[in-house]
Amino acid sequence: MTGWRDGGLDPGNSVIGQSCPRVDGVSKVKGKTLFAADLNINGALYCRVLRSQVPNAILRSVDCSEALKVPGVVAVYTAADIPGENRVGIIVKDEPVLVEDRIRRAGDALALVVGRTEEALEEAVRKIQIDYQSQPGVFSVMEAMGEGAPAVHGENNIQSATSIVRGDADAAVSGARVVVTRRYTTQMAEHAYLEPEAGLAAVEDGVIKVWVSTQNPHYDRREISRMLGVGRHRVRVTQAPTGGGFGGKLDISVQCLLALAAFKTGRPVKMVYRREESFVASPKRHPYIIDYTSACDAEGRLLAVKIKIIGDTGAYASYGPATLKRAAVHAAGPYAVPNALIESYCVYTNNPTAGAMRGFGVPQMAFAHEAQMDLLAEALGIDPFTIRLRNCLKPGDITVTGQCLSHSVGIKETIEKARDRAMELGMLGKPAKNYGVGVGCMWYGIGNTGAPNPAGAFLDLLEDGTVVVLTGCADIGQGSDMVLAQIAAEELGVNIENVYVLSGDTGVSPDAGATSASRQTYVSGNAVYSAARQVKEILAREAREILGSGDANLDFRSGFVWRGGKKTEVTVKEIISGCGKKGILTLGSGCFNPPATGLNAEGQGMPYATYSYATQVAEVKVDTETGKVAVIRLVAAHDVGRAINPQSVEGQIEGGCLMGMGYALLEEVNLSGGVIENPRLAEYLLPMSLDAPEIHPVIVEEPESTGPFGAKGVGEPALIPTAAAIANAISKALGIRFCSLPVTPEKILAALEKRDGYLIQSAESTQQRR
Amino acid sequence: MVEMKPFKIISKVNGSTVELGVNPGRRLIDILREDLGLTGTKEGCGEGECGACTVLINGRPVNACLVLAPEMNGKEIITIEGLTPEDELHPIQEAFLEAGAVQCGFCTPGMILTAKALLDKNSDPDEKAVKTAISGNLCRCTGYVKIVAAIRLAAAKLAAREGSI
Repeated sequence: MTGWRDGGLDPGNSVIGQSCPRVDGVSKVKGKTLFAADLNINGALYCRVLRSQVPNAILRSVDCSEALKVPGVVAVYTAADIPGENRVGIIVKDEPVLVEDRIRRAGDALALVVGRTEEALEEAVRKIQIDYQSQPGVFSVMEAMGEGAPAVHGENNIQSATSIVRGDADAAVSGARVVVTRRYTTQMAEHAYLEPEAGLAAVEDGVIKVWVSTQNPHYDRREISRMLGVGRHRVRVTQAPTGGGFGGKLDISVQCLLALAAFKTGRPVKMVYRREESFVASPKRHPYIIDYTSACDAEGRLLAVKIKIIGDTGAYASYGPATLKRAAVHAAGPYAVPNALIESYCVYTNNPTAGAMRGFGVPQMAFAHEAQMDLLAEALGIDPFTIRLRNCLKPGDITVTGQCLSHSVGIKETIEKARDRAMELGMLGKPAKNYGVGVGCMWYGIGNTGAPNPAGAFLDLLEDGTVVVLTGCADIGQGSDMVLAQIAAEELGVNIENVYVLSGDTGVSPDAGATSASRQTYVSGNAVYSAARQVKEILAREAREILGSGDANLDFRSGFVWRGGKKTEVTVKEIISGCGKKGILTLGSGCFNPPATGLNAEGQGMPYATYSYATQVAEVKVDTETGKVAVIRLVAAHDVGRAINPQSVEGQIEGGCLMGMGYALLEEVNLSGGVIENPRLAEYLLPMSLDAPEIHPVIVEEPESTGPFGAKGVGEPALIPTAAAIANAISKALGIRFCSLPVTPEKILAALEKRDGYLIQSAESTQQRR
Repeated sequence: MVEMKPFKIISKVNGSTVELGVNPGRRLIDILREDLGLTGTKEGCGEGECGACTVLINGRPVNACLVLAPEMNGKEIITIEGLTPEDELHPIQEAFLEAGAVQCGFCTPGMILTAKALLDKNSDPDEKAVKTAISGNLCRCTGYVKIVAAIRLAAAKLAAREGSI
């Protein structure tokens, strides 16, 4: 077979920027892809969890004796059966695998039943006797932060706080032409990936093997190993093809329970969440309360922001501390703001745990900062695009954390391109009743906030021109396997079909960290790139010897060595066999950690190596009889650095826009005393095909010099400004500002009813000066 | 589940006659996945809301999680595995790949079968008709844009194929 890609060094022969087909596509359309629930081992036992119905209680005892008598039940495990540490958590180890004494939320796992049939498990779960004493819980952040509130953990419900101080915000506010202050509130939301959590586990040759739907197999391995008290080498986690994650499969779901059952019984075990259990047990998007003051001069130039953010992280920290830290860093939006006073709090309550969800605490902030920009523009009579262009970050600007942005700052171009596309589509300047167009901008730091988040990769170039890439990077449907294959193919000059990416298996692939923070194209992409560079260097050394060409610049294309841009007669195959004769293997390993620093006590530092930017424009029509909002069109201009695979980038943008529309208008997890009232797809409203607007993606490429071929990230940015743009469009349509998400028909009808009263209230809180 | 007397079923699944004695309280999705090993039919919600378990019964798209085993009797059932022979791709499947309509892939089998039922009835559906047809199939990844495009592309592919015969 010919592994080498035809064509020379002409940029037209590059696979970067090509919409190569997905490596997993054929299996998926044929229905052959085996997701975790599709896997089986003969004789596998089933597992089911007894979960708490109450949100806060002292657990006195769990009596399993009757459950054990149910025919078909093999074992029932409680906290006492856990051999190692009964605590997991990505940032803070505060969550028990099985509760030993204190229930902190409805949905906490109390006991694990293992048996031969689902029917036996169902009966056994009912027969477990729980003795508990309910305690008063805290169900709002205000309550939780109040004097004498019952503590969910330790002494104080403030899990963590971040503060950013730059310049003198108070002084700048008092000297401003316009000051706008508002409180914004956002809802709890559910990821609702189509595939509920599932996994399979077995013990083979003393190794505990777990196949699971996950976004981070290496993290899963760490937690299983600690929980069982065994070395990490004795745990192998293989990511099963994952049916969506959006941040919700970063935390531990079935992993530890399965590993415990397999370890204890010595038998293969299987577990699949039902949809309701997925709702109840998985983390959610943080609800925020945001108090936001913005101040600008007479031209609309931002002088200062003062922002306080409180996020409800529920019963366990999960990704909460990082979500609230990221919220603070991004609170001012993609604008140059010389004076800032920003504080954010991550607060424990007895509500469902909130963790990572696409956007990681930034969609909430975009809703607030973009409403503020519109309010300032309205006060001064400036166009929404103009005020954003006047304030947006440019190369050389300093962020609120004191980071100088030297390059790849595409916000201005996204504003201009989104505006131009909206103009071409005829969205702008057509005033009609109850019709509005709104703008939303965002920025998003790629990778973890001010913390190391390295990724590794191994690469093996074989003599026939085929390549094997080993990476820990979990492809959860976004297409990272394909992007990594494209990067390897480009660097080594091979056909994309000849790159096999083996991803997400702790038994063979190096740790690539989480598939989160829109980081894998940038971080794992760089790791694969550097592994490929290493192999290329091995080839070049051998080629230089054969060609006798000192340190000439060599490339490998169409199976030949190219010197100084010209094809030679030497084939890459000859080079590899030349290496082989000397006992040199064409293997490479790469590692990349984004160059960033932590934040100091005043929130100053360089929390991210690079940022993606976006502007979206929404066109809506509001039905004032029903309160229903129809989103007609969305234009979404995204600076991704470089689109490695444009079709895939568009796919991310389109999917993000629709999820953002759900967040703006439909989606809300309703709670009553910490218990989810709508844990079903029939009750939690997701956007359907008929709700979907026209979506017009615009790809902007401001290359990032530290990114693979200039790439940054797009997964989360796709969703971040959508709710902001839609909410601003609704405000334009009705002349009423909505400060609470989602903007439901009920809220719209109520606001229309008291429209006059609302306007008086609004005038009071907008202080016009000078 | 209460054990009941096995119910005898004869139906055609993906072109082959299947005879089974099943508990009449079991769901079609479980029979397909567990007894027949047809795991291309996915369970996303178990209450007919998501459409991931869509199969064709006598050509009509149905949520297999809402159908009880006895209802299979005498019917012709097509699952994603039965859409084409083993190593071929149906024009709808080709179109899904070309249009980039596949991300996580969990909704894909159900979506493709719904598309098949639509295109069998309407060889040239407009955007509204496609969106209406797939309104019972949820997708959380794509925003439906490329799925709608894929189904319309499939219609064109099928029309071209008709034309060439």
